[in-house]
Amino acid sequence: MSASNARITCDIGGTFTDVVVSDERGRMTIAKALTQPANLFDGLRAALERAAAELAEPLGGLLGRTSLFIFSTTQATNAILEGTTARTAFLCTEGFPDILVRREGGSLRPYDYSRPFPEPYVPRRLTFEIAERIDADGNVARALDEAGAVAQLARARELGAEAVSVCLLWATANPAHELALGALIERELPGLPYSLSHQINPIVREYRRASGTAIDASLKPLMQRHLPEIAAGLIDEGFTGELLAASSAGGVVPMGELIDSPLWSVRSGPSLAPVAARTVATVETGSGDVIVCDTGGTSFDVSLVREGDLVFTSETWLGEPFAGHLTGLSSVDVRSIGAGGGSIAWVDPGGLLRVGPESARADPGPACYGLGGTRPTVTDAALVLGYIDPDRFLGGKMALDVGAAETALAGLAEALGIGSREAAHAVLAIANERMIAAIHELTVNEGVDPRDSTLVAGGGAAGLTIAAIARELGCREVLIPRAAGVLSAFGGQHSDIVREMTAPHVTNSKGFDFAGVRETLAGLRERMHAFEAELPQGLGGEVRRRYFVEARYAYQVWDLSIPLEGDGVEDEAALQRLIESFHDAHERIFAVREPGQKIELSQWKGRVSVETVKPPLAAERGELADGAGGTHGRVAFFPELGEVEIAVHLGGELAAGRSIAGPALLIEPETTIVVYPGWSAHVSELGNYRLELEDA
Amino acid sequence: MSTPPIAEQPTRGERFDPVALAVITSRIQGIVRRMSNTLFRTARSSVLNTARDFSCCVVTRDHELLAAAESLPIHVMSGPDLVSASLARLHPKLRAGDAYLHNSPYHGNSHAGDHCILVPIVGADGEHHFTAVVKAHMADIGNSQPTTLWASARDVYHEGAVIFPGVKVQQDYEDIPDIIEMCRTRIRVPEVWYADYIGMVGAARIGERELHGLGEELGWETLHEYTAAWFDYSEEMMAGAIRRMPAGRSVAHNKHDPLPAAGAEDGVPVKVIVTVDPGGARVAVDLRENPDCLPCGINLTEATSRTAAMIGVFNSLPIAVPQNAGSFRRLDIEIRENCVAGIPVHPASCSTATTGIADRVANATQRAIAELADGFGMAETGTLTASVADISGKDPRHGDAPFVNLMILGLTCGAGHSRGDGWLVSGEVGDGGLMMRDSTEVDELLYPIIVWADRIVADSGGPGRFRGAPACYVEYGPAGAEIEAMWSTDGYVHAALGARGGYPGAPARQFLRRADGNVEPLPGWGEQTLAPGETVLATSAAGAGYGPPWERELQRVVRDVADGWVSPEQAEQVYGVVVRDGELDAKASERRRAELAGTSVPVPELLDVEQRSREIADRLAPYVLAAEPAR
Amino acid sequence: MPERELDPTLMAVLAHRFEAIVREMTNTLFRTGRSSIINMARDFSCSIITAEDELFAAAEGLQVHVLGAGLQTRSMRELHPDLREGDAYLHNDPMLGNTHTADHTILVPVFVAGEHLFTASAKAHQADCGNAEPSTYVAYVEDVYAEGGLVFPCVKVQQDYEDIDDIIRMCRRRIRVPEVWYGDFLAAVGSARIGERRVKQVVERYGVETIKAFVKEWLDYSERVMDQAIRKLSAKRLHARGKHDPIPGLPEGVEVNVTIDVKSDEGKVVFDLRENPDCIPFGLNVSEYCARGGCTIALLNCLEEDVPRNAGSFRRIEVLLREGSIAGGLVEPYSASISTTNVLNRIINSAQSAFCQLGEGEGLAEGAGAMGVGYAVFSGTYPSESGGAGEPYVSEFVIGNNGGPASPHCDGWITYAMPDCSKTIYIDSVEMLERTYPLQFRSLRLLADSGGAGRLRGGPASEVIYGPRATPMRVFYMADYAIHPAAGVRGGLPGTAASANVIAADGAERQVEPIGDSLLAPGEWIRGIEAGGGGYGDPLQREPEAVLGDVLERWVTLEAAGAVYGVVLEPSGDASGFTLDLLATEQRRAELREARAAGGGA
Repeated sequence: MSASNARITCDIGGTFTDVVVSDERGRMTIAKALTQPANLFDGLRAALERAAAELAEPLGGLLGRTSLFIFSTTQATNAILEGTTARTAFLCTEGFPDILVRREGGSLRPYDYSRPFPEPYVPRRLTFEIAERIDADGNVARALDEAGAVAQLARARELGAEAVSVCLLWATANPAHELALGALIERELPGLPYSLSHQINPIVREYRRASGTAIDASLKPLMQRHLPEIAAGLIDEGFTGELLAASSAGGVVPMGELIDSPLWSVRSGPSLAPVAARTVATVETGSGDVIVCDTGGTSFDVSLVREGDLVFTSETWLGEPFAGHLTGLSSVDVRSIGAGGGSIAWVDPGGLLRVGPESARADPGPACYGLGGTRPTVTDAALVLGYIDPDRFLGGKMALDVGAAETALAGLAEALGIGSREAAHAVLAIANERMIAAIHELTVNEGVDPRDSTLVAGGGAAGLTIAAIARELGCREVLIPRAAGVLSAFGGQHSDIVREMTAPHVTNSKGFDFAGVRETLAGLRERMHAFEAELPQGLGGEVRRRYFVEARYAYQVWDLSIPLEGDGVEDEAALQRLIESFHDAHERIFAVREPGQKIELSQWKGRVSVETVKPPLAAERGELADGAGGTHGRVAFFPELGEVEIAVHLGGELAAGRSIAGPALLIEPETTIVVYPGWSAHVSELGNYRLELEDA
Repeated sequence: MSTPPIAEQPTRGERFDPVALAVITSRIQGIVRRMSNTLFRTARSSVLNTARDFSCCVVTRDHELLAAAESLPIHVMSGPDLVSASLARLHPKLRAGDAYLHNSPYHGNSHAGDHCILVPIVGADGEHHFTAVVKAHMADIGNSQPTTLWASARDVYHEGAVIFPGVKVQQDYEDIPDIIEMCRTRIRVPEVWYADYIGMVGAARIGERELHGLGEELGWETLHEYTAAWFDYSEEMMAGAIRRMPAGRSVAHNKHDPLPAAGAEDGVPVKVIVTVDPGGARVAVDLRENPDCLPCGINLTEATSRTAAMIGVFNSLPIAVPQNAGSFRRLDIEIRENCVAGIPVHPASCSTATTGIADRVANATQRAIAELADGFGMAETGTLTASVADISGKDPRHGDAPFVNLMILGLTCGAGHSRGDGWLVSGEVGDGGLMMRDSTEVDELLYPIIVWADRIVADSGGPGRFRGAPACYVEYGPAGAEIEAMWSTDGYVHAALGARGGYPGAPARQFLRRADGNVEPLPGWGEQTLAPGETVLATSAAGAGYGPPWERELQRVVRDVADGWVSPEQAEQVYGVVVRDGELDAKASERRRAELAGTSVPVPELLDVEQRSREIADRLAPYVLAAEPAR
Repeated sequence: MPERELDPTLMAVLAHRFEAIVREMTNTLFRTGRSSIINMARDFSCSIITAEDELFAAAEGLQVHVLGAGLQTRSMRELHPDLREGDAYLHNDPMLGNTHTADHTILVPVFVAGEHLFTASAKAHQADCGNAEPSTYVAYVEDVYAEGGLVFPCVKVQQDYEDIDDIIRMCRRRIRVPEVWYGDFLAAVGSARIGERRVKQVVERYGVETIKAFVKEWLDYSERVMDQAIRKLSAKRLHARGKHDPIPGLPEGVEVNVTIDVKSDEGKVVFDLRENPDCIPFGLNVSEYCARGGCTIALLNCLEEDVPRNAGSFRRIEVLLREGSIAGGLVEPYSASISTTNVLNRIINSAQSAFCQLGEGEGLAEGAGAMGVGYAVFSGTYPSESGGAGEPYVSEFVIGNNGGPASPHCDGWITYAMPDCSKTIYIDSVEMLERTYPLQFRSLRLLADSGGAGRLRGGPASEVIYGPRATPMRVFYMADYAIHPAAGVRGGLPGTAASANVIAADGAERQVEPIGDSLLAPGEWIRGIEAGGGGYGDPLQREPEAVLGDVLERWVTLEAAGAVYGVVLEPSGDASGFTLDLLATEQRRAELREARAAGGGA
């Protein structure tokens, strides 16, 4: 094994820690280990050791030849969902203490009076009002009462605050008071981590800014402990390369950036999935519109690549919309719904079959896990249908109890008055439906037509139903990357360093301020240069700077992000083209346009991406002799065919270029792919699977 | 008649076969008259079928007024041209069978209270050749208060009228139900409105049918040549008339009564600058030096601003001239945007644009001309009172069916002019004497009201060589059920002004007679709920006089005294005519007139109209009060 | 049960499809709306109705908005028998099944292969609807004419997918903010058109026959669920009374009477609203649409299951109305300007609290329903460059907070808004309002002790203070619940009452009529307090730990904890702030019970 230059990415999830090692030839080694929440590095080390073992070299050797280590974790997300973040104080403008309590109102269950109102991210007892006021024009309407603020900080200390978040009204228009409070915190509560809203996320709308700021502050103690731990651990083991971390902006940044504002690490792992999908789709189908489905054990994540670009949103809720908490950041749009293999199927009083939202989770897990679960889950249904090989689940790491699954499904079938195979199929169909809805919402909102898009599936449960989903969506083409089981970690392998800066400058289409905009964009450019300059040497590949503007029709309050051509709006002609592209975007997304209406432009954004040295996408399957394949068959059920004997192929045995006609099963260590009747699977040169719907 | 020679006529008027010119003119006059009769006979509300507050006319394809039936000048002189133009702008393709509902003050209409029906007259060739325009004052237009003339409306929203900017209401000769439904929902008396609407459409369709026949018979091009010739002829007539007028520039001021709500505590000053140029045969009226739009309903529309000035001029012409786009070419009416007497800016309300300021402008114009030289122009006309009111309520005689209507009683406002006394039965100047007063019997039949008196008030007419028409005293009240009355009276504070030494007419006065007999003054602008037993007493503002009273023919004064229009006291005091037991004392009169003519004698005090009205009221009291319980 | 049973899988699948469609419609309207009422408060709703006028699918929009959508499509079919593809209708006529004139509804008939199968509906509260006064809610108007707004009795506003300009122009002339109105109109049309497009796709994918079968099946299914839910209630005849506050001209206020016949054995509930006063010459009359929706809300609030909300489940609800009655019997020319809130909220509250008569664990307390200063319609003009009056603005605040009703299971919902919108409405952003309009907020906070005490506590009320910046601002508010607050049930106490005060430039405060309007000069402020929700059960039975939590979270003051809940707390030096003295608490509660008994005896 040549000591070639390696690149390692890891994704520390709630259950598993995934590691992907790739060398200059593009050879990938994938390893998994259980996550150790107490000390994240232990789990990471275990996974790294497995990878090293597979490569038949000592861990030190592997790390020693690793030039780039990219790290992503769901720790932040989990800490928030489990409420294990730091005890955080919230400082707000006097008179407005309930911003975090009321959020932005709304509820998904208008008639449900059995659920208590969700707790605020920071309890009222830790909320402190600061006498001050900035008005909408940035003028100081009421001077900051520093003495009062000091007293409040003292109270915060008494109450045991471990971090402080500050969000004052209109700090975005004039940060003076927030900065002053920052200084006071450093003086009065030395060493206590704090976050200022205008620095975390300078957007208008107090709740979103406050929520993101509170989350950011609450994560600092945790991340400021974990991240250095991991860095240290790696170095101890002999790592000397560059350490980058994934951010929810769909790229990576130097780890220091995340320590400064950990908010960006929230849902950073999932935001790498579309990066992976884009990479694979580009080489396999050349398609620019890609729908990405990442199916885990408990959740189903959808994201989108539109015309080669990741799609962003400012609506990322942690937990249920309205009841959870908004990050408020403009980050990669990953819609997550609780619809994994563990979702429980049940029949409601009206006799309708329902799947989820309740989940058997990992413990007791689906009935077939034999850990005491008795209620039928999506995984049980798949097993009963014969879509899962009980002996090869998770690469054979876990034997499944078919009998238990059968029993669980039988009850359901009885309630529905149909056969248990039919019932099992119904369970999958309905589970799919929630995913289809999620995909529809995302694609439709972006004006992407699923029928012209490529579907890329990842995650453990990826292959089970993706073809069925594709059929409903009208997609004729599905890609399942070789690294489907570790899509995010794989995405890390192919992501660039991405950093977004925003600068407010209000103007409009009727009286466009060319000079002002030129100045604003120049300012952004400088900040980007500064960021580039600080990057470690040797990383720097090609640098791309792109500019966007948040635009809306007069009186609207929700913006559309419109890319600028080149790096500015130089003349009337360019302005007209910009305006046209806004009208087009508005019509594409919302079905109507209003020609002639004034367009307001407020926030200007610069997104700099510095290309990193990426491993080539090469395959090493070529030399493998075409294994007989389909050696052992098994019985599976498809509504159109009934119970049939189908071929089962071990992925590892299939040579590039091989095609398999459905119905059949393809077994990969991390996932099982069901090739439905009417579909066929092709093994690409790069070892990815392409499923195609045969013209029937 | 459509012989080749005519078809080949060049368009210069003098060469258009004069016989054809006369014949076609009378045919077209006949058409607009038939339009009027149709509406007059079919309309449901008394404001149309009795008071005749509507007008019918024909406009050319170039939006020029061609012919109007004897209609309210304030409706037609300018307005039909503007609405026709706006219609073409809003609906580029006009088709046969279309009809449009138009009442938008911002698109050329007189005021929201007048609904216009426009029917494009389209030839077999599919071309739009003329437009038949019918405009009528509706009983109700869905204002937020039950009135169609609301001086206190802050803006068009507060006014509340549904505004139809040339909205298609018929297609292929069929109603568009949506629009009809909208009116039915938002107009207080949907049945009455629809009946009047049908009447208007009928009138317009009559005009369409007959003009279409004429066009197809003579050939449309011939008709267009005719209009050109007719306009040229009318312009010549106008030029001729102006050449006989005195040259000069004359400025006249007057004042609209105070509107505290709109911040006009001491009234709204009106200024008119008239320039007569006999040489160039042109008359210019400049209204641009008037105040900006006010936050109330008295702003004029473009149509009524122009028309008011034109009326003043036409009233002052030495000879009769046809009123159409041809004669108008000789007039230069100068107005500006955002002006009470100009072009209103949305959302300024123009609820009373056909009266109030319009009357002031027309009056000032004709008085300005009068001041140029004796023998020209006119004094100022009086104005309406609470005897012209929007009355509404529920009629117990018809199962409490709601009613609302503009009641028009006591129209005696005529101004003295260069050649005669004020026309007695004349409404405000804007109606050119064409508005008819309601029949008391018809009103009492249609609405649960009783009219107790409608009589001349002696001495109220503005004294002058030619006397203004005297005011009239009207008293009315509900019969058996509560009614709501709303009125907008100008002329309460600022009376009609005399010309060339003529005296002003008596100002308006109005009172509420309580059931207990108390008589309390009522404001100039008001709304009043009248319980059975209560009555409104209204004395209208009289017309003003022209020329010094002591120059009035002795016999005219003697007759006035004999007829009780002028008291012997006023005859002696003001006219310098001494009448004893009906006999003229020539000698005494001689002396008195000499005194008066000499500047040494101060102008004798005028009639105290308030006092006089109360006297009448007291005389009426016994039987008004006695009778009420009996009803 | 129909013979031809639809594959249950497909049924669930299609149900999800239609849900997704209305969600998409909703998102479109929310993102593209121009007035803050739509793009911040989300005071609108989208739904899909069958060609037989059955409400089929609705998003979590404003509840009173969607529940009666079928009434409007019926008037569309009756008035326009010649419906065609490409048509769109503007409907805001409360006499023809709309909520109130301020809600402009866009109806788009959806055709497949020439057959009218569904109607997509987008209903949104407008910033201005051309009323005589600059407010979309007017109380002191004797009739619809005085109200003054434009009424569109289901008027065709698009043909062949093109605007009918006549109608657009009429609105532009008579609506104070034409640009905003047209933008919101476009947003609603866009939303309905997206619904149209998606529904067609689904129908084309599965075929007309399947969809028809599905519609029938789904409605039947929904009816079954409702049937089951109602059968769980105990059969009883319930009587409830509510009272809207007195207002000038109505010294007695408005009493509402609701009789509810719970026919558990038939799986049916009958609401009788006929015993109510005749229409009144004020804007408070309730339209049929709202009255029916209100009863439905009350019932759904009191059911355990999450019942699908469509014409199928509504078959099990009967609402008896009387023509000419203030409660759903609207007749011309009376005004229903405030039909969606005030009297309606009294109906909902009395009905939902009446269910408590079914026993412990049933029903709800009353939710607060003040349409006060926190929900006011505000208007004025922007300062112009010249300093004088510039462009006009008018919109409605949705910034206040009425406390939700305590339920048998938990404390009152905080961002409840009011009974008719059942928690779904959003809240404005102070910063967005200050950015969009020339006004400023001084404070916005939730008030301690404002939620009605009880074993379960009512939600808190808000206090808001705001005023104009440079140009005068006119504010219309319509706060009920200032005299008769939201009542508690089963021993629970009422929430606090609403109020409104104007603060002069010199700081002097004067109370103003809770239903009225004020013209605020720059330097003046208005201070509005909404109402608190009613409590459920005896405060003395509230978990002492819960009371401790309330005190720490400042929902309840230390004083109230002792005096009302009988919970004794001792200051603790440490961060927690207080500790619970359980013994003292027991004692205190015993004393309070005695005192109560004595008081009762006296």
